[in-house]
Amino acid sequence: MTTEIKPPAKADIPIPGESPRFTPTTLIAAMNQTLEYAYEGALLVGEVASYKVNQGKWVFFDLKDEESSVSCFMSIYQLRVPLEDGMKIVVRGVPKVTKWGKFSFTVSAIKPVGDGSIKKAFELLKKKLSDEGLFAPEKKRELPKDITKLGVISSTGAAGYADFVKILNARWGGIHVQVAHTQVQGMDAPDQIIRALKYFNEHSEVQVIAILRGGGSADDLSCFNDEQLVRAIAASKIPVITGIGHEVDESLADLAADVRASTPSNAAEMLTPDRESVKYSVEIAISRTKSTIIYKIDDILGRVDEPFDKIRRQIKQKIEFYHNMLFQKVKILEALNPEKVLRQGYAILSGKVSPGSVVNITTFDKEITAEVKEIHERKKVTE
Amino acid sequence: MSEKKSLNEKMEELDKKTGWFYSNDFKLEESAEKYKEAIALANDIKKDLNELKNEIEVLSEDFSK
Repeated sequence: MTTEIKPPAKADIPIPGESPRFTPTTLIAAMNQTLEYAYEGALLVGEVASYKVNQGKWVFFDLKDEESSVSCFMSIYQLRVPLEDGMKIVVRGVPKVTKWGKFSFTVSAIKPVGDGSIKKAFELLKKKLSDEGLFAPEKKRELPKDITKLGVISSTGAAGYADFVKILNARWGGIHVQVAHTQVQGMDAPDQIIRALKYFNEHSEVQVIAILRGGGSADDLSCFNDEQLVRAIAASKIPVITGIGHEVDESLADLAADVRASTPSNAAEMLTPDRESVKYSVEIAISRTKSTIIYKIDDILGRVDEPFDKIRRQIKQKIEFYHNMLFQKVKILEALNPEKVLRQGYAILSGKVSPGSVVNITTFDKEITAEVKEIHERKKVTE
Repeated sequence: MSEKKSLNEKMEELDKKTGWFYSNDFKLEESAEKYKEAIALANDIKKDLNELKNEIEVLSEDFSK
């Protein structure tokens, strides 16, 4: 907001050698011109005091240190982090003198500084946006599986971006990656990232937008807790993945994104399959097919051989049956063999058996001719 | 002239080709030829995987303004 400086009236033109002469209006205009020239974009660090919002539109607070205090003023629309008395912040703006002669600092941007204030601002905004449903799980969209067009928002000189590109190229290919180079740190970063999000949503065909930034301090990463940026991420028509900082770093941008990766490298892993795994799966598919063919050939051969196997089995059974039968007959014949009886000590008597007759007796190794002397009835042994 | 198939299309084709071996359509007399086709396609896919490169374009738009 600049005040038009009216040319001084002719009577007010200072005469060389004389002190300059002003009216209140021209003095304030000249002072503001000087202040704007000398302190444009100045950063002022201090602790918030007497914070208030008037008419829902104008924000007033004092920024103080141990000795001094500066009145600050800004529009509510430029307030992108929640404020509370006691928070330490850095503001960017221009010092001005109002038409009532009061000194004030017109603020265009605010950023909390120090871990305590960053955490406080984070928690306040997280609650506010969470209550609005910005982080609701049902709002999350799945990333497409086969990405061929990818939008990246990052600083092309940052290590995190280099890590992402390295992992992406190692894992997969065939993706057209459009990179929006923006700051990923500092007070200008949120607006730049918002513009890049808008660009991709309005002028590109990318399927996913990846917002990337490597590790850093809480202060470095605090730009990802900017309210307008978080809202822009949540409102993106294109799914957004964030890879910001390290595993332990959680930003509101992460919460608003559809998918949160723990690091830029992890984002590359989540966006792409691994070409080595795909090659391995192709090899496995072929190897299994080969095994299947061998199995099916064995199966067919088995089915062809089956009738012959049955016949073979039946013939074998018959042979075994007859073999057993024959064996038993031989055993019986062997048992009836007279030679075997003689070998056991028995003798065969032949001829008429009557007293005085001659008979032949055959033993195992002798032929005996004998005369029958007497014949008696044998007393049988009772069994 | 037929358009060059994408990697995904080739992967889908390989799934179909290998699926045939497990299906009721399997015929032993056709299997050798089908297997050769699957091997050729698998090699083609592996070649594509080795040669795939990403195209990285840094936009000329100035997002600082």
